Amino acid sequence: MGGLQKKKYESGSATNYITRNKARKKLSLSLADFRRLCILKGIYPHEPKHKKKVNKGSTAPRTFYLLKDIRFLLHEPIVGKFREYKIFVRKLRKAYGKAEWGGVERLKENKPVYKLDHIIKERYPTFIDAVRDVDDSLSMCFLFSTFARTGKCHVQTIQLCRRLSVEWMNYVISSRSLRKVFLSIKGIYYQAEVLGQTITWIIPYQFAHDHPTDVDYRVMATFTEFYTTLLGFVNFRLYQTLNLVYPPKLDGQGEINLKSEFEEDYALDSESYTEKLSALSASLARMVPSAEEEETELDHFPTEGEDQEKMEEREKMEHEQIKQKKFFEGLKFFLNREVPRESLAFVIRCFGGEVSWDKSLCIGSTYDAKDETITHHIVDRPSIDTQYINRYYIQPQWVYDSVNAKILLPVEEYFLGVTLPPHLSPFVEETEGDYVPPEKLKLMALQRGEKPQTEDEEEEEEEEEDEDEEEDDQSEEEEEAEDEANLAEIEEKRSRGKSLSVKVTPGKAKAENRKRAAEEEKAEEKRLAIMMMKKREKYLYDKIMFGKKRNVREANKLAAKRKAHDDASKEDKKKKKKKC
Amino acid sequence: MAAARRNKRMAASQPGFLSFNSGLDGNSSDIKRRKRVNKNKKKNWNKYSDIQDVEEFLDDVRLQEKAAGGLIAEKPDATLFFVDTGEKDKETQPQTTVKKGKRSKPLRIDLILQPDSRIPAPKNVLAFQQPNAKKQRRMAEKAARLAAMGVLPRREKLLRLRQAAAASGLPVKENPVANNNPERAFYDLWSAGTPETDDPYYLEQTKKKLVKRPDRLNEKPSVLPAIEVVGPGGSYNPDFFSHQDLLREAHEVEVKKLRAEERLARQLAVKEDIATEESSFKEQVEGLIEEGDVEPEEPEGGSEDTVIGPTATQEKKTEKQRRKEKAQRIKALRRKADRQMIDKQQQLFQLRSIRANLKTQEQRTRQRQAQRKANQEAQKSMPRRLGRLKFQTPDLDVQLSHELAGSLRSLKPEGSILKDRFMSLQKRNLIEPRERAKFKRKYKVKYSEKRAFREIV
Repeated sequence: MGGLQKKKYESGSATNYITRNKARKKLSLSLADFRRLCILKGIYPHEPKHKKKVNKGSTAPRTFYLLKDIRFLLHEPIVGKFREYKIFVRKLRKAYGKAEWGGVERLKENKPVYKLDHIIKERYPTFIDAVRDVDDSLSMCFLFSTFARTGKCHVQTIQLCRRLSVEWMNYVISSRSLRKVFLSIKGIYYQAEVLGQTITWIIPYQFAHDHPTDVDYRVMATFTEFYTTLLGFVNFRLYQTLNLVYPPKLDGQGEINLKSEFEEDYALDSESYTEKLSALSASLARMVPSAEEEETELDHFPTEGEDQEKMEEREKMEHEQIKQKKFFEGLKFFLNREVPRESLAFVIRCFGGEVSWDKSLCIGSTYDAKDETITHHIVDRPSIDTQYINRYYIQPQWVYDSVNAKILLPVEEYFLGVTLPPHLSPFVEETEGDYVPPEKLKLMALQRGEKPQTEDEEEEEEEEEDEDEEEDDQSEEEEEAEDEANLAEIEEKRSRGKSLSVKVTPGKAKAENRKRAAEEEKAEEKRLAIMMMKKREKYLYDKIMFGKKRNVREANKLAAKRKAHDDASKEDKKKKKKKC
Repeated sequence: MAAARRNKRMAASQPGFLSFNSGLDGNSSDIKRRKRVNKNKKKNWNKYSDIQDVEEFLDDVRLQEKAAGGLIAEKPDATLFFVDTGEKDKETQPQTTVKKGKRSKPLRIDLILQPDSRIPAPKNVLAFQQPNAKKQRRMAEKAARLAAMGVLPRREKLLRLRQAAAASGLPVKENPVANNNPERAFYDLWSAGTPETDDPYYLEQTKKKLVKRPDRLNEKPSVLPAIEVVGPGGSYNPDFFSHQDLLREAHEVEVKKLRAEERLARQLAVKEDIATEESSFKEQVEGLIEEGDVEPEEPEGGSEDTVIGPTATQEKKTEKQRRKEKAQRIKALRRKADRQMIDKQQQLFQLRSIRANLKTQEQRTRQRQAQRKANQEAQKSMPRRLGRLKFQTPDLDVQLSHELAGSLRSLKPEGSILKDRFMSLQKRNLIEPRERAKFKRKYKVKYSEKRAFREIV
């Protein structure tokens, strides 16, 4: 029973953690350097489970790191570089103080520089890992590239971010991998599918910045430093997979076309090439000049039965996807000067459309507004003076909505001065029984290939409805009661459809509907299965069904509400019209 | 110089030396009486030796040099005197000097600034002297000697090496490029390079191979996605109902905040009986004003001093009593054992209920386990407490119904993406929440009224 008394905090979680200050001292770095190192190496603070034990009895909130992580940091070569940099700064300050300009020159020439390549290789051992994690770096790069050069961060960083983001956009255009766009009140969300990975990023609207004061710019700059390096390597590899030249070169043919007199007015000679690249109007040069479009066709294997069906289905899907990827092909767009040029050019080019803008708006315009072959003119003002007959004048939302729907939407709802239909988020995916807004329903119907109701019909209907409403107005309360009754009825019907047996009346000679019979059989089977359930399972089943029904009920309620709202707004409009 | 000075002295000591100051020639008239002091201290040498005559003499020498450019005594007579031949020139002089404009006359200021001393300025010695001349000469000699032997200096050697490298076309080692250089080049980082063939121990010891990163570090500290897309209500032109949903959400957050604030205010509210002027005055004068009818009552002093304690002492038990008690005790024990026996036998008939009991217990444990697991899962997406500050969820970005823009052109973006990103980093536990360091003034600012200000007011 003897032995020494165990001392407190000498084993267990107390020894597994280390406070930030101790870690900093262990690495002999300043706090700022330590922070930078942790961000670059991807080592994050950790919340211990038993804080009081780790904190040696104190309950003061503190930042802890895992001791093993810090030990790992000790091996990092850039720790030495940080120390060197500290000494460099000290020497430089001294040289300035003594006005030794020669010494200053010499020191500046030999400024210690660290590389992040090995860290990226270490954190992302394979290329796919890096692609999976590129969301963050994209958002950060796009954000920093929109900063004004006001000294909040290095001008060089801004330039690098711009370069990388332009490279990325060019890649997305040439790989046709954009999937979704969402214009939110914060910025524009994009989603692309790159090498099977879904990548989402956000781009701020232009000129939307006021610099918030409660953001630590140093931390953000460190993240950006890491992310730019990552994005650069990812870009290089992505360009390689597409057989594109890196750093991106414009296609030779396009380059000649691009030359115009206004070039010199727009940018310096040294900058004009990058500006042209960022205009996104020309395609990129390939390493091996390939045929126009390599049609990738699936290999055919002789298969039987189900496999073949599946194959056919897959082939069909593939075809559809390819078709969707270039549904803007053959269309010629012209952007008026008030629309967001870069975003629209990017989206249109992603789906194979041709796009141009006014010469004075930006470099790289390929045709001007007078071109007769333009099919869509994108305008965001109430009216325009000179209109050509052979093109549609539409608002920019049409492009985004079409992209999300993957079809060319009817342009009528997007004409100039028309109140736009709501811009729905493509990131919302409704499950069965959820409330789906009527706009989306319409859209889905369009996607399925059903023809929308023509305007006249709708109007007629509206009128009819209006008449009905006038009658209804007298008894609003009744209507509500009716609504509820209707709902109840609907529910009942639904439940009946699932639980009641289907009677087969004998003796009537009726052409047997095979489909119907199959359905009935299925329903019967289901009913029997329900009957055979154990008590517990039955309970669970009932619960699930109840939940579903509740969802349906709620959705119905919302739909009814929406209808009421629409009617009300319609009436208002009518009244206004009458007044006018 | 020394020779010149000696010359001067010699000249001065000559009997024919002329002095500028008339008073100087001969001894000065009033010689003070000599004071007797001990000369054994250096201080006294300075203090009590009369050197005025020497000083005066030297001053005069300096003056002569300044004004005449040397000692007058040494000058040849021709420079000092001229033969007066009448005023012949006086008539011709004005004719020759043609009146020039004001321009030709030097400015008075220039004249003042002209050096009036006849002594030439001393030569700058350092301008002619090379510092470290000796050392340099020696170094040059050494270099020449080495060159004769065929050894080149280091700089020359490096230059030749560089030239050779450039000629051969090998890449010269360049300065590494900064990470944020916009022209920096990238390469294929993930291509399979040549596998290391060297001894792994050697590579590790020479730090050519990096330590393997533990797999644990590649796990993300939170399961949240990097980019959280705003809901459908955040669209610039939202569907009515989704917008209402978003507004409701924002409203609920606000209400919660308001409630917390109200609660705090309620808790901190001062109670009803606040001291009024009257009451505080009363308190202050309490006891000072004698009131006739209120007499402090004297406490009754007649308390008893006797302490009541346990007085009754226990009497000893008799032997009989003890025996009886023991028998009772044994009886009770036996009865208890019997009871237990019976209970155990009875449990056989309670088997069902016991089993049911066990079952419920187990179920409860299982439920708790599931609950705990669910909690742990939920924790993974929650921001952890990583430092002094707690993560605070930023306000929802919302545009009210009247703020919504009809078109993309008139859209006014809401919130800042930079802040959004920063908060996302905090939310995903990548950095600890921080706040900006508060500005602390070391000294108090002192305000003083300026005269100009006072004049206005």
